[in-house]
Amino acid sequence: MQPGLADRLSRALVSCHPRRWRERYLEEMLDVLDQHHPTGRTVASLAVSVLSTHLDPAYRTAGPSRSQLRRAAGWAAAIIAPLALVSGCLGYAAWNERWQLSGAGGVGAVAFGPGQRLLVTGVGGPGTNNMVTVWDFADRARPRQLSAFRGGQPTALSPDGLLVVTPAPDDEPALWNIADPRQPVRVAVMPALGHQPLWGEAFSPDGQVFAAAYLDQIFLWDVANPARPRLLGTLAAQAVQANDAASITPQDIAFSPDGRFLASVTGTDHVTVWNVTDPARAVRIATLASSRDMVQTLAFSSDGNLLAGVTYYGTVLVFSLADPARPALTTTIGTIMPHALWPDGLLKHPDAPPCPPCSPAAYAVAFTPDGHTLTVLVDREESSVSGDPAVTMWSRDTIFTWNVASSGALSGLTTAFRKVVDNYPALAPDGRTVADGSPDSNAVYLWTPP
Amino acid sequence: MPVHGKFDELGRFADPSLLILTSLADGPKHGYAIMTDVAAFSGVNMEPGTLYGALSRLERRGWVRPLATQERRRPYEITAAGQEVLAEQVKTMQQIVQVARLRTAMAWGA
Repeated sequence: MQPGLADRLSRALVSCHPRRWRERYLEEMLDVLDQHHPTGRTVASLAVSVLSTHLDPAYRTAGPSRSQLRRAAGWAAAIIAPLALVSGCLGYAAWNERWQLSGAGGVGAVAFGPGQRLLVTGVGGPGTNNMVTVWDFADRARPRQLSAFRGGQPTALSPDGLLVVTPAPDDEPALWNIADPRQPVRVAVMPALGHQPLWGEAFSPDGQVFAAAYLDQIFLWDVANPARPRLLGTLAAQAVQANDAASITPQDIAFSPDGRFLASVTGTDHVTVWNVTDPARAVRIATLASSRDMVQTLAFSSDGNLLAGVTYYGTVLVFSLADPARPALTTTIGTIMPHALWPDGLLKHPDAPPCPPCSPAAYAVAFTPDGHTLTVLVDREESSVSGDPAVTMWSRDTIFTWNVASSGALSGLTTAFRKVVDNYPALAPDGRTVADGSPDSNAVYLWTPP
Repeated sequence: MPVHGKFDELGRFADPSLLILTSLADGPKHGYAIMTDVAAFSGVNMEPGTLYGALSRLERRGWVRPLATQERRRPYEITAAGQEVLAEQVKTMQQIVQVARLRTAMAWGA
């Protein structure tokens, strides 16, 4: 049985216990399931538990006679079993999928293609035995591996889903044509010109320009003809000084959806925004201070007027670019880490260190296409403070969503949680679907908060 | 695993109950900690349905006691009565082990 399906069915079965039993054990049993990796055996044991507790006088609701209960149980079983199976399968498809990759060796970067039909995963850094894998996951329950080729992370996918950029040896971005995703063809390598490391990649919304971010330089390449990339210009920036270089993700550099702006992490705690309407004559329009710590991930709203970021210690920032001449930090929310689950499954722990200096998490940020919602994903794999060594192998996804005003003000926070074992999260273009992979687990985990 | 007197009344939960009482013998634990502890000392991967089926029966017999909930977790501790039945069961098992050792040694000619 697929792990996701087993998890779904297990949770459904827990809710099928008698009311008295649920009042007493439901919460703690769900907590156990949060930490357990349900299998077919788990489902079977819970099904037996449901049956036996319904027949147990200690949990039977007073009132109906034994024969009435048996009849009701028979009818319920006849009706509920097929419904549970169908709803479990549907729920599995809609809410939570995880699939094992074959031979890809893990996941260190995830990029979604147009329409969320194509997924590209990469693992490893330059100079190692890395792989990029192209997946068709239009049918989420049965994703198909279309191809795999030598690459690594960061990995970027063009908006039309036809080009993939992944580092070649020596941090040179290699351009792959995946118009036929079953037969990727390397069409060009863009020279790094001595710069290292390559930590950020982004395509412009029209797919004509590719930005390659190095420590203190951003190269803009014209990739309209992928076989002959042409260097359009170089943007100088204050050298990035990461707290942890490995945690920098491709989202750290982003084009606005209208193609006007390019935003990049710079220095230790800044975001620099350029006007790239004419990429060959890009103009820096602002260097914005995060006022906290290094920004880890960036995303523009669909109208390009808002830029959201999350810092190393989980501070959420929203900048307004409505007046491009005077970009401004409009929202700072520095309180989300205490509301992100620890690997133990706890929201708070009495022995937990404050944040900072808590360990960093991995983040993803995205606006929904209508621009009304901001989603921040915190994937926390902090070492357990419970003393239980078993929990340190997990991380926890916590999804924060806010309503977004045109000014950038956030309101109406809601949260959702998920146990994962992976720590390279990405948000799909819908701003809600989460993909999480890990170099260790050799799997991609997909879920959408309810 | 053969079970003794009072454990017989637990039916199919007799073996899991013995493992749970053994796990709690060195201090209170919550559900998942019991599962991992049991797996560590016995190699038995107990599933949640079995765990809570056994825990509820142990609780009703007064052999374990629930403690205050911590977040969503509720630790359990073994009671004096639970320690007593565990000791009885261990004694029975020791007798069985002793006989088994003796007989296997004879059969193998050691």
